[in-house]
Amino acid sequence: MESTISTIALYLIFAMLLLAFVLAFIRMLKGPDISDRIAAMDLIASVTMAFILSYSVLVEKAIYFDIVIVISLISFISTVAVSTYLKQKK
Amino acid sequence: MTTLITALLFLLGAFFILVSAIGLVRFPDLYTRMHATTKATSFGILLIILGTALYFNSNVVWIKSVLVIIFIYLTTPLASHSIAQTKKNHRKD
Repeated sequence: MESTISTIALYLIFAMLLLAFVLAFIRMLKGPDISDRIAAMDLIASVTMAFILSYSVLVEKAIYFDIVIVISLISFISTVAVSTYLKQKK
Repeated sequence: MTTLITALLFLLGAFFILVSAIGLVRFPDLYTRMHATTKATSFGILLIILGTALYFNSNVVWIKSVLVIIFIYLTTPLASHSIAQTKKNHRKD
C-alpha cells in the first residue's frame, strides 16, 4: 500500500475530484432542463474516470486502465442515445 | 523525477476538472455550462491519463492511453453537439 508518489498529493487529488463530483451531482439534481442533466451526467463519467486512474496509481495496479476504456465508451454511447431519444420524442 | 512529474500532472488535471465542475454550477445558461464542461474536462482527463502512462511506463499502458485520448478527443465534441441540438429542439416546441 506504500505508494511512491507522496500520499498527501494523492489525497489532495481525491479531495478535489470528490468536490467536483458533488458539484456535478448538485447540478444534476436541480438542473432546470433535461439537457443540463445530460451534461452533468457526462461530467460525472469523466470524474469517475479520473478517480479510477488515481486509484490505480495509489494501489499500483495497471489493470485498472481497462475500466477507463469501458467507461469512456459507455459514456459517449449513453449521451448520444439519450439525446437522440429526446430529439425524436417531440 | 518521474514521480514528481506524475504528481504535477495529476494535480493539474484534478484542478482543471474541479474548475469545470465549478463552471457547471455557476454559469447561467446551458451553452456556457457546456463550454465549461467540455473543454476543461477533456484537458484534465488528458493530463491525468498522461500522468498514469508516465507512472507505469510500459508499452501496453502507453498504447491504451493514446487510444483513450484519441477516442475522448473525437467523441466529446459529438456528444456536446448532440446535447445542444436537444436543447434547440426543445426550445422550438
